Amino acid sequence: MAEAEQSYGLIASFKNTASFFHAAEKVRDAGYKKWDTYSSFPVHGMPEAQGQPRSKVPIFTFCGGITGFIIGTLMVWYMNYFDYPLIVGGKPFFSPIFPFPIMYELTILLSAFGTLGGMFITNLLPQHYNPLFNSAKFLEVSGDRLVIAIESRDPQYDPQATRSFLEEIGGTDIEEVNA
Amino acid sequence: MSTDANNASLNRFGSIALIVGLVGLAIAGLGFFQGYNSGDVRPLMSWLMGIAFWLSIAVGMLFLTQIWYVFHARWPVIIRRQCEHSFAAFPVLFILFLPLLLVTFSGDQAGLLWKWLDSSNQLASHGTVGDDPLYQWKSPYLNHSFFIIRSVLVFAVFIGISYALRKLSFDTDKTGNINNTHIARRLSSAGLFLCAVFATVGAIDWFKSLEYHWFSTMYGVWFFAASMRAALSALIILCIVLATRGYLKGILKQAHRYDIGCLMLTFTIFWAYISFSQYFLIYNANIPEETFWYIIREKNFNGELNSWWWVSMGLIFGHFLTPFLILLWYKTKVVVWRSVAIAGWILCFHLLDLYWNIVPGKLADPDAHGAGYLVRQFSVNIFDIAAVIGVGGVCIWAFCNSTKKAEAIPVRDPNIENSLNYVE
Repeated sequence: MAEAEQSYGLIASFKNTASFFHAAEKVRDAGYKKWDTYSSFPVHGMPEAQGQPRSKVPIFTFCGGITGFIIGTLMVWYMNYFDYPLIVGGKPFFSPIFPFPIMYELTILLSAFGTLGGMFITNLLPQHYNPLFNSAKFLEVSGDRLVIAIESRDPQYDPQATRSFLEEIGGTDIEEVNA
Repeated sequence: MSTDANNASLNRFGSIALIVGLVGLAIAGLGFFQGYNSGDVRPLMSWLMGIAFWLSIAVGMLFLTQIWYVFHARWPVIIRRQCEHSFAAFPVLFILFLPLLLVTFSGDQAGLLWKWLDSSNQLASHGTVGDDPLYQWKSPYLNHSFFIIRSVLVFAVFIGISYALRKLSFDTDKTGNINNTHIARRLSSAGLFLCAVFATVGAIDWFKSLEYHWFSTMYGVWFFAASMRAALSALIILCIVLATRGYLKGILKQAHRYDIGCLMLTFTIFWAYISFSQYFLIYNANIPEETFWYIIREKNFNGELNSWWWVSMGLIFGHFLTPFLILLWYKTKVVVWRSVAIAGWILCFHLLDLYWNIVPGKLADPDAHGAGYLVRQFSVNIFDIAAVIGVGGVCIWAFCNSTKKAEAIPVRDPNIENSLNYVE
């Protein structure tokens, strides 16, 4: 039971999108790392206000695409040139032209897989348990509540100081969430 | 910067462009005249390429504007106005196209550029155009009077639709009448079909029929794809120049540039897809009436690789692979100098693509006695450069001249606020 009462962090609610947005900028400027914003709709410019770098998903997409292209090329080379050479319509056993649709389609297919997988990995999904859902107030985020949560594992986290910081930047309904 | 100072600097720039353009046209025109007198087709091709280059940009912008209207796009409203100013180039291009049409009325040189216009023209193999069964089959479409009607009709459609859209948008500046937007949207829905049909007709008549033996069902789409790439590249350069010169300063944002960059990437892939598919279908079907078009772009009659092979490789790697890989980068689309550099690169290779489509042709080989042919090889001459610069100068003058007639951005467009506050 002692473990269950360990604090996950603090959540604070904000009245409107503007104060929510500017509060996020202040949390970023205060140097917190392990925190996030929660709203039921996208807020334009929020990634910048949170100081988030560009998404890493394109790298997964690119790697997926390159893998697909290479697999497509090797597959056709292996089947039509190496394993079972077959003359089709007087075309060479291997050429980059006739199997291009295969190389191309596999590039697209594996790029899409890479994108999907990259999205899951960078978003830390699937996540079956998130302590934030222990809070009844946090559940209202799916309605009209705007929440900033600072986690206790942040090196700068201090139960008292962080609470007063959240008050200072305009947070209301500040609540500690159990892990 | 005040609007007056902006107008003055654009006016000055327009005058310089006009002078440069007229000088270029004079040089290209001299080549045209000499070519006409001596029966040399190459300077006429230079003239055609000069027009094709700038026409493709204007056509692409016309497509873009209509697509934006149809999809009720809110972000590009400030960019749409630059397209509307560019539409002023259409009448200029039509006037510059007339000499090519006039040549077809001359008695002895009617078939100088488009060989099939003169039935007594000798084919590269044997016989004349008039005896050619392929021409006889195609003659209900490929004949002089229908060709002239189609050429005029193509320009009539482009000028008509673009000027109607221009007028509606400029009128909104003054009256704020919301109906203008509704009418423009309805016009664009019909206009997209009309422009698709007539851009195809134009591409087939002016470029594809240079080798009238050939068949391809994808040629119109190729012209559309190439036009969109050229238009987007020209548009990003245009907008950035206008932004740094003060005209769109603080209005053109990173988000606008980023989205144009994304469209450039899309149409780079689309152009490659279409160009490759055209090649792929003909390669797989392996029918001589079709394959010869690619064969002369690869090798001579004796089987040796010719200059076009290098141009073809240049197009694959320079017009597709390089811009594709570079445009994948986020930074390419948001760092100003990088977007301008890649847009300039694409425009250069777009011109090379036009060379590749227009210039190669089968020529009769005097020593072969009907058993071979020569291929008109790749070359860049002073008339090509003069024609591209000449037509461009006059088009840029038309653009600068048009900026006097309306605000820099559509100030009373219903979506202007969305466009001004656009974020990624």
